[in-house]
Amino acid sequence: MRYFEYFVGPQHVGVTGNMSYHLWADGDEIKKMITSVGYLHRGFEKLMEYREWVKNVPMVPRICVPEPDVNEVLYAMGVEELSGLVPSERAQYIRVLVLEMARLSAFLFYFAGAAGALGLYTIPQWTIGDRDYILDRFEELTGGRAYHIYTTPGGVRRDLPDGFKSRVQETMNYLKKRLIDYDRLMFENAIIVKRTKGIGIIEKDYAMNMGVTGPNLRASGIKADVRKDDHYLVYDKLDFDVPVVGDGDIFSRIMQRRLEFDESIKIIEQVLEMMPDGGFIEKLPNPIEWKVPAGDVYVKLESSKGEFGYYIVSNGEEKPYRIHVRGPSYTHGIQVAQEKIVGMRIADVAPFLFSLDVCPPDIER
Amino acid sequence: MSLDVEESIKQDIDLRLKDIAKCEIQRERRLKLYTGKDRVIPVLGFLKSYGFIHLAAISCVDWLDDGEFEIVYNLWSYRDKAGILVKTRISRENPEIDTAIPIYEIAETYEREIHEMFGVNFPGNPNLTSLFLEDWNGPPPMRKDFDTRKYAAEKYGMRDLTEQLKIGMDKIKGVRDGDEIL
Repeated sequence: MRYFEYFVGPQHVGVTGNMSYHLWADGDEIKKMITSVGYLHRGFEKLMEYREWVKNVPMVPRICVPEPDVNEVLYAMGVEELSGLVPSERAQYIRVLVLEMARLSAFLFYFAGAAGALGLYTIPQWTIGDRDYILDRFEELTGGRAYHIYTTPGGVRRDLPDGFKSRVQETMNYLKKRLIDYDRLMFENAIIVKRTKGIGIIEKDYAMNMGVTGPNLRASGIKADVRKDDHYLVYDKLDFDVPVVGDGDIFSRIMQRRLEFDESIKIIEQVLEMMPDGGFIEKLPNPIEWKVPAGDVYVKLESSKGEFGYYIVSNGEEKPYRIHVRGPSYTHGIQVAQEKIVGMRIADVAPFLFSLDVCPPDIER
Repeated sequence: MSLDVEESIKQDIDLRLKDIAKCEIQRERRLKLYTGKDRVIPVLGFLKSYGFIHLAAISCVDWLDDGEFEIVYNLWSYRDKAGILVKTRISRENPEIDTAIPIYEIAETYEREIHEMFGVNFPGNPNLTSLFLEDWNGPPPMRKDFDTRKYAAEKYGMRDLTEQLKIGMDKIKGVRDGDEIL
């Protein structure tokens, strides 16, 4: 039997990054797919072993391009746990603020990709434009738009600028207003509903066994969120829900993000209100001679794509002994996509791959 | 801060895996378990039936001075809300350990990566092809005795920049002495 072979990627398939998919189709039906990763392998884990602990801070955000802050916070959390540092409460609140703002901007990116894959190009124009208002706030806070290099072991590098809280609140008010438009344009859109309902279903048990995490797992009907289950920073003091859509198809994965968008805005508003005064960074040892005590630790947090984790091993020297990065896309980007795409129509390939929110930089590191 | 859940998990593990594994509590919601190379698969099987259904990652650490690789299985239980690191050491001379695919299907990709980056063999894994690297004939690059900087210098060579540096320095000197800038 001869199949029609074709390739998706490795150029950006929209916004996901450089990764290619090799597909075999019989007529309009996909028979087999092989993912090919490696276009973005930059060897960060090895590079980190060559650099002093503090020199890794500006490098880790590069591991995930659309949502770099999770890497900074995770690296800082891991080093702090190994060396017994506890950041001040204000620093922890600021980190939550940064993480949730990063989540919002990643979700806006996701909406753009998901709609673009279905040929609806108005939505990407709007969401990418609105994402820039969040980047403006990041620029004000950290000096950078895409990469921030703001969180460091011991706290954060700068305090909030004057009047920053009210400007974040303004941005949130603007986004809340825009969500009404998004709902009408995207989530009640007949094209999106018809093209995505009942397609690309990932069952509950399958998702759990295959290590799928984050919004994709919740879209399949399992209420699990690292922010609640393995709470870090000050998430246990904040009041938010974990929405679960539960059908596991493309539509529920898109809808899942839409519902979580509301929760993130809720968290940011609480953080702005509850943030205490105080210092924002602890006193650190001399960075050049900083020896982190020997030991190993696994830290993880909830990124917009799922469970992001760092396994950090120190042997008591100036440099890390080994760092293993667990990217959330590792599971659903390779094995799950490969198995679940079989039997799908060619036209559904792009929406399906987008709905999983695969981010190749965090697979390959 | 109470450790009730962690204590009860440790008790159950100690009871069931008394002779083959050693369990300790690292902190809240984190446990560690040490076991031998041949016991890993039964231990993982027990832990999965106990509730640790999520395999978050498999990591490999190269302990060059000990002549061993450490394989770390990173598990999480949605029910107990606790994570456990299952650690085992294998010799660096003949790095080989049974695949965990019969228990955790997702182990396939993680083992593929460790096979490529550390050269550890996983008998039973059907898909140990290259994952990230293409046309790579060198030694497994994540091993501690592989020096990336040395490899790059040997393979691609270093550019000799003394001449350009000299021209640049002369220009700076000229500016300082009041000459016209080109």
